[in-house]
Amino acid sequence: MTTDTAPSLALPQAGARRPLGRARSGGALMVLPALIFLVVFFIVPVAILFSYSVLTQPQNGVIGLPLTLSHYGHLLDTPLYLHVLAITLRISLWTAGLSVLLGYPVALTIVRGTPLVGRIVTIILVAPLVVSIVVRTYGWQLVLANNHSGVANWVLSFLGFGPAVLRVMYTETAVVVGSLHVFLPMMVLPLASSLARINPSLEEAARTLGAPAWRVFARVTFPLSIPGLIAGLTIVFSLTAASYVTPAILGGNYAQMLGNLLEQQVVSVYDWPLSSAIAVVMVVLTFVVNGLSVFLLERRLKTRRRLSEAR
Amino acid sequence: MEIKSADLALSGLTKTYGHSLAVDNVTVRIGTGEMVALLGPSGCGKTTTLRMIAGLIEPSGGDILIGGRSIVNVPVHKRNIGMLFQSYALFPHLSVGQNVAFGLEMRGVRKAEAARRVTDALTLVQLDHLAERLPTALSGGQQQRVALARALVIEPSVMLLDEPLGALDKSLRESMQVELRQLQQRLGITTVIVTHDQEEALTLADRIVIMRAGKLEQIGTPQEIYSRPVSRFVAGFIGASNFLRGHVAGSDGGTTLVALQGGARVTVPTQAGASGEVMVALRPEAIQVQPFAGQNDAAPNTTQATIEQIIYRGSLTHLYLRLDDGAPLLAFHQNRAGERAPAELSPGGRVVARWTEENNHLVADR
Repeated sequence: MTTDTAPSLALPQAGARRPLGRARSGGALMVLPALIFLVVFFIVPVAILFSYSVLTQPQNGVIGLPLTLSHYGHLLDTPLYLHVLAITLRISLWTAGLSVLLGYPVALTIVRGTPLVGRIVTIILVAPLVVSIVVRTYGWQLVLANNHSGVANWVLSFLGFGPAVLRVMYTETAVVVGSLHVFLPMMVLPLASSLARINPSLEEAARTLGAPAWRVFARVTFPLSIPGLIAGLTIVFSLTAASYVTPAILGGNYAQMLGNLLEQQVVSVYDWPLSSAIAVVMVVLTFVVNGLSVFLLERRLKTRRRLSEAR
Repeated sequence: MEIKSADLALSGLTKTYGHSLAVDNVTVRIGTGEMVALLGPSGCGKTTTLRMIAGLIEPSGGDILIGGRSIVNVPVHKRNIGMLFQSYALFPHLSVGQNVAFGLEMRGVRKAEAARRVTDALTLVQLDHLAERLPTALSGGQQQRVALARALVIEPSVMLLDEPLGALDKSLRESMQVELRQLQQRLGITTVIVTHDQEEALTLADRIVIMRAGKLEQIGTPQEIYSRPVSRFVAGFIGASNFLRGHVAGSDGGTTLVALQGGARVTVPTQAGASGEVMVALRPEAIQVQPFAGQNDAAPNTTQATIEQIIYRGSLTHLYLRLDDGAPLLAFHQNRAGERAPAELSPGGRVVARWTEENNHLVADR
C-alpha cells in the first residue's frame, strides 16, 4: 500500500526547484535498482493477484480459466462484505480527518517551538514507532477495556462517573483511537516538513499587513502547508484502510475491516479468488479516495485564486 | 496616493536576551516624513530595534511612540505599519494583485475600492501590467517593488525596511535606492531602514543612526557622520579613514597642535578640552601625494612616506603609503576621466603627503 503515497509527489511544491540538467543524465540509472525491486516484488505480485481475482477456483482448488467477474459480483452482492467495506471507509476517513486536527498543533509546535521543545515533541511522537504495533494495540486494549479493569474506566469511575461507563472496546471508535495513535506521526512528519519550508517572514508580513493570528493561519500557513497535508492524509488513510492488527484486536467482530475479511477468506475459507478480489478492492479504494482528496484540495487552491482574481 | 504619516519616537528602548543586551537604551526621534537609516555591523541590534517597532519582538524596556501614542501594547496587526523584508516575503500562492490586496482584505475594504487602490499602488511601482502573475515569475527587483506596493497600499503610518535591497545585485540595488528614495520623499512617509551597507545609508537617509553592540554610537546627517565622526568605529564604518595617534603638544586660539608618534605634527581645528593622548581621523581623499623633491618640509600636516602599493579603482587610485615609523597611511588620488595615477608615483618611491588642517578631526579611540 505504500505506493499510494505517490500522488502527493505530483504536487507542485513551493520552493522545490530542481537543479537543472543534473537529474536528467544520472536519474534513470539511479532509480533502476528501486525500479527492478518494485517490478519484481510489487508489480508482478499485483498482476498475479489481479489475475487470481478474475479466474475460477473449482472444487479441487487449482485456480485456472475461465475468466469471470463473479467474485466481484459476490463481493458487491453480499451485505456483510459491503458492511465491512463501509466500516473500512468510515474508520479510515475518521482516522485521517482526526489526525489532521491533532496533527496541525503538534506539527506547528515542532516547527515553531524552541529547538528543545521541538525535539522533545518529536521524540514523544516518534518513540512509539519503536514499539511493535501488536504490543501497542494490546496496550490500548488494556486502556479501553469495557469492564472496570480498563484503565480509562478505572480513571472515570475514580473521577465519579460511575463504574465501567466507557464502552468503546470492540467498536469502530476503539479502532479509530488505536489507528490514530499508530498513524499520527505519519501525518505530523510531512506536515511539519511542509510547515518548516514556509519562510517565517511570510507570516510576519501577513501580521504587519493586519492579519490576526487565525487569519495568518487561514490565508498563509494553511494554504502553503497543503502539500504536506495531502501527503499526510494519503499516508494515514491508506495505512488505516489496509490495517489488520488494530481492527483485529480493538475491533473484534464488530469493527472488522477489509484486511480482517481478507485474512478470513485466505486462512479459513481458502477462497483465493475472492481474497484477491478483496485485495483489489482495497487497492482501488485507497487510490480513489486519495485521488479524490488530492483533486479537491488542489481545486480548492485554484478556485480560491480564481475567486480573488475575479474581484 | 495620500499617506498620512506620523512621527516615530523610541525612548530608552531595550531588549535583553538572558544576560546579554541586544538593544541597550536606544532613544531616537524620527520626524514625520523623515527617512532614518539604522546602520551597523551584524549583531549591533539594528534589526532587533526594527522588529520591536514592527511588534514582531517584544521590548524588555522603554517605549515606542507613533504620533505621540505608545504602541508597545498594540498587537502587530493593529499597528498599521508597512514592512519590507530582505526575502521580499511575497505570498507564493497568491498573484501579484492578490498580494497587494492582502492588507486591504484584512481591513475589510470593499472590493471595488480595493481593486482601484491595488491598481494605484502597482502603478506607483510601475508593475500594474503584472497584476495577474505569480510572484515567482518576477525578478528580484520586481518582487521587492510588489512588496513595496503591498506595504504602501495600506497607507501605513510608518514604513520599516529590513535590508530590503540586500538580495539584489549592485547595479539594480543602486537604481532601486534612487527609486525608493524618490517615492519615500514624494509620499512623505516616515521610514526606518536597516542596513549594513554604508553607501545605502548615505544614499537613502536624511539621518543615519550608527549602532554598535546594542548602543547608539552616533546620530546625524550623512554629512555630519562622514565629516565629524565621534569615534574611530564610526569613522571606520562610514568610508575609509586613517587614524593618527599622537599627543597634544600645544594650542593657540584656533587650533590644537598634535605631535604624532612618528615625529610629524598635525594641526586640528580646536576642540575644547583636548589634551594628552589623542587620535586624529583623516580621510584618504584629503591627502595630496607628490614625489619627494629632496628638501625636508617641517610644516605641519605634511609627512614623508614610501609607496607600498598602488591599486587602480577606476575613478580613484588607492595609494598605500608607509610612514618612516612604520605607521600605514592610505591616500586616494582622484583619477581624471579614468586616467591612471601620475606615472611618477610607483611602488617603493619616496613621496610627500600633504593635507589641510580642516580635514583633521579628533575622534574617540573606540
